[in-house]
Amino acid sequence: MVDAVTPPDQRLSVLYREHRSWLENWLRHRVGNSWDAADLSQDTFLRVLSSAQKLEELREPRAYLLTVGKRLLSNFYSRRSLEAAYLEALAQLPEECVPSPEQRWLLLETLQALDELLDGLPRLVRRAFLWSQLHGLGYREIAERLDVSERTVKRYMAQAYEHCLLVQL
Amino acid sequence: MRTAPTSEMQEVARAAARWLALLESGTATEADHIRLQHWRNSSANHEHIWQKAQQLRQRFEALPPALAMASLDRPDLARRAAIKRALGIAAVLPTTWLIARQVPVQVWLADVHTAIGEQKTLQLADGSLLQLNTDSAVNVDLSKRELTLVRGEMALRVNDSAGLTIHLPYGRVVVGRSDVCVRLNDRDCQIKVASGAAQLHPLQGPALFLREGEEVRLRPGGAGEVGRFDASLPGWREGVLIAQNQPLGDFLRELRRFRPGLLRWAPELENLRVIGSFRLDDTDRVLSLLAASLPLEVQSRTRYWVTLMPLNAHA
Repeated sequence: MVDAVTPPDQRLSVLYREHRSWLENWLRHRVGNSWDAADLSQDTFLRVLSSAQKLEELREPRAYLLTVGKRLLSNFYSRRSLEAAYLEALAQLPEECVPSPEQRWLLLETLQALDELLDGLPRLVRRAFLWSQLHGLGYREIAERLDVSERTVKRYMAQAYEHCLLVQL
Repeated sequence: MRTAPTSEMQEVARAAARWLALLESGTATEADHIRLQHWRNSSANHEHIWQKAQQLRQRFEALPPALAMASLDRPDLARRAAIKRALGIAAVLPTTWLIARQVPVQVWLADVHTAIGEQKTLQLADGSLLQLNTDSAVNVDLSKRELTLVRGEMALRVNDSAGLTIHLPYGRVVVGRSDVCVRLNDRDCQIKVASGAAQLHPLQGPALFLREGEEVRLRPGGAGEVGRFDASLPGWREGVLIAQNQPLGDFLRELRRFRPGLLRWAPELENLRVIGSFRLDDTDRVLSLLAASLPLEVQSRTRYWVTLMPLNAHA
């Protein structure tokens, strides 16, 4: 008897058929609408497809899909919250400083990429790093603002740089 | 998916990060600079990651500082961390939070939203009642005693005299012990006071005081004229849509908010008059009722693609 080997694309389509509506449902309860849920579930399967994980070795396909899906969902929330903060900040700019629509979207994309890059850093580390990078504040001033020592600020900066460099590797 | 960096590259990244922090601290000595140069020269990996770090700095330098700071250091980062925790990504304690979200009593801090055709009622932790209409989104932060209407329409009944503030694109509404309804349109927001009173603070122009039965539209340039509405009539909060001799076009534009998919109508139907009260939980039924009472027919390609056409007298 020949042990039939299922080609990978077929395995994915089986995975897709059996779990897509379940995953979409799970996502819909969290994002509150079907469109975003459908997008996110699509993205999840795309990630699974492009991952190194061997589908035939998946013992708990739903647990695996959830792990991937949760990460995407978290990114989704972050993007949405970033966008809201960005639009709010834009709305407060004087009219002559408001960038053109194209610039606005480019800027938002850059901000989203950097937001993802900084994701996972403790709040104060993130803030110290942003003050230094965006406003060019010196360590002494950052230390005063955060009410910590300059040595701590230096440690924060090293931590932030290390984090960003590792994510980018 | 990303592969984990090798431990060697982790070491290199850590070393580079320490060099950067030292340089920027302003305390690096001449000897430090020489040692750094030596470090960069000693391995292609070192120089590679050093260049990466420079690119990283340039990406930040290219940004408008205030805008970037407001976006990247936004106040709801703590909430995002809570969401991640709740999703079980970073840490434990997911279940309680998710249960609180699914059975939404006692909301303290949340982003609430509804899909098209969906409505939600939530009891806030201070006893206030929040209702969301179709396709709406509200952020709640009771630690600051404030809500932000992000999209769509909401109603808020405040029972606590301490009051709550609703933030809108062109101003804010301070709600005392009263009942208000707020809606975002494309070009303005609409504020109605169903009972009690509320204070409106436009971004532009003077503040004003709204009493029961009064409504006003808020635009970028300030508040418009205060008008009156019949606060005793039921509305979306009761799940009905009421038309009192309303042009069909206006009625359908309103109904469309509650229906996923396309709803179109022939222009000659625009000014037919609609009278009646319609239940919002079944918009297909509303369309059938319209077809029964007006000279029009409903053509459905799918549930999500519906066109209303005049009845052809010669057919």
